[in-house]
Amino acid sequence: MSSFAVRLRPAGGPWTDRQAAWRLGAVACLVLLIIVLMVVFVAVRAWPTLQHNGGLAWLGHGGDVDRQVNGMITTSRTPPATAYHLKAWPLVYGTLLTTLVAVAVGLVFAVFSAIFIVEFAPRRLRTVVVPAVRLLAAVPSVIYGLIGILVLAPFVGRHLITPERRASVQFIVQLDGTGVLVAVVILTVMITPIMIAIIVDALIAIPSGWREGASALGANRWEAIWGVSVRAARPAIVAAAVLATARALGEAVMISMVSGSRGFSPKPQDGVTFLFEPIRSLAASMVENVDAINAPAIRSTVYAFALLLLLSSLVLSIGGYVAKLPMRRQGIRI
Amino acid sequence: MEDTRDLGPADPFLDRSVPSLAPPVRRLRPDRRPVPVPVKPEDDPLIPVRDAAAGPERMRVENLTIRYGGEAAVKDVSLSIHQGQVLALIGPSGCGKTTLLRTLNRLTETTTSATREGDVLLDGEEIEQISVTALRRRIAMVFQQPNPFPMSIFDNVAYAIRVQNAKRPGRREIEHQVVDALRRAGLHDELAGDLDRPALRLSGGQQQRLCIARAIATKPEVLLMDEPCSALDPKSSAIIEDLIAELRRELAVVIVTHNLAQAHRVADKVAFMYLGDLVEYGDVDQVFGAPRAQRTRDYVEGAFG
Repeated sequence: MSSFAVRLRPAGGPWTDRQAAWRLGAVACLVLLIIVLMVVFVAVRAWPTLQHNGGLAWLGHGGDVDRQVNGMITTSRTPPATAYHLKAWPLVYGTLLTTLVAVAVGLVFAVFSAIFIVEFAPRRLRTVVVPAVRLLAAVPSVIYGLIGILVLAPFVGRHLITPERRASVQFIVQLDGTGVLVAVVILTVMITPIMIAIIVDALIAIPSGWREGASALGANRWEAIWGVSVRAARPAIVAAAVLATARALGEAVMISMVSGSRGFSPKPQDGVTFLFEPIRSLAASMVENVDAINAPAIRSTVYAFALLLLLSSLVLSIGGYVAKLPMRRQGIRI
Repeated sequence: MEDTRDLGPADPFLDRSVPSLAPPVRRLRPDRRPVPVPVKPEDDPLIPVRDAAAGPERMRVENLTIRYGGEAAVKDVSLSIHQGQVLALIGPSGCGKTTLLRTLNRLTETTTSATREGDVLLDGEEIEQISVTALRRRIAMVFQQPNPFPMSIFDNVAYAIRVQNAKRPGRREIEHQVVDALRRAGLHDELAGDLDRPALRLSGGQQQRLCIARAIATKPEVLLMDEPCSALDPKSSAIIEDLIAELRRELAVVIVTHNLAQAHRVADKVAFMYLGDLVEYGDVDQVFGAPRAQRTRDYVEGAFG
């Protein structure tokens, strides 16, 4: 036992600072290199789609995106340039719609429930709720998808969508329950626990002296919490939003299950019907085209979707960093 | 008047005559020496007459008892707090000084197990009758650890003003109030007009003066200070002590301190607490120079605590 413990130590004794710096630096550089190589690889593979669609024009709208993609399957090994033609706007729109609404709604819920858990909940409740929230944050997303498609979507289809509404759009899309509403609700439920967990940790870490100081100045409890604690926890709130957005953007299987999975752009002008119309996100499109991945045009298209997601997560990280800069200037380090 | 008492070995940190430590502010009691060596009353030819005119009584504590659960932290304490005077609460750790202080602005209520008996009056009115937020606006507090909010210097002082107004005033409306508070706290000149600097980048002593500025910005009647210098270096402490001497002209100050020399320097009245009891309460020179109780004598001689 003891000889085993001894052997766990590095052969040449403990690392010197210089050794530690080099070795850890090498690992960090390797990670960076892998990320860069991945982006480059995806970009190269996506190139035919970008090239044949004229740069970023493929993000525009026009035609039925599902039909365009299906048209790619039948093409030969060296497809003509026209086979790559695609207007991916409905997918981008579906991604943005679900993500932004879910993050916005989830963030409001997360901030208020975190405040309640940390500041108002009885201690006993808090010791139960916090681990439960962490558990929820770790639930695999496909389980949320399952609940969405087996419970929520049938309920919406049966009780919320009237036959008249269904008939009104029957020549355009089928309203079966899956769609914008269920996708956004399930996505919100999925990303809120992780945001709550992050914000709870931040609020707990706020020095009690700040809140007490605010109380001593005549602030009531809510004013002290909102004006000082939450204000000081803003970096964590930004971090939570960034993480949740990244999760929502990349969510594939669950969205594919509950969104109705049609490359369709519902219009908010349609009123309530809008809520029940199907959509599809970029990530879901990638998953669903896996069967046909051997068709060169489809493969390139899927890589183009992947590139878009990679770049948006990059923009997201940078955006989060920039958003935190003014707070860091004030010396907030949470 | 020459003080001929044996003052013991001079402590360089406490000796205010060292030039680098002497701030340009007018000293209120230049004759006050730091080392509190009690002498027998009969040997002391004269108890110095206080030069501070005691103003009207602001607060009165009557038969106050505070319990945490069943245990009394403050037992049957009665004293009064006057405008224009500094009351120092001294005593060993855990003897109820801070509890007494925090009761004055009802901060002990945030501890759920705490119960109170007896009266605490602010200008003759029972503090429970005053809404807690209004009370804390009239009785400001400075804490042991400087606790500026993670905002700019301006916003820190403005927070106090804004939180006390139903309608959030804009920057221009309150700018003169903020500047005035910083000036009274002796911080304004050091900032050189840059009020948008992050408060957390200030030094510890500056942070504490910012907290004082924040506390006095809305012109409270009473200022409570819970060991305001214990986290500070001697120079910063000296500046804050001078500030206290200045501030007491406009409000009543209650200060908890473990530093007897500091209590001797800044206080007009001293209350010595031991295990929750108010053992001795009187003029500073009487408590330090001619303590009535043996326990006070032992404590100010440094025998325990």
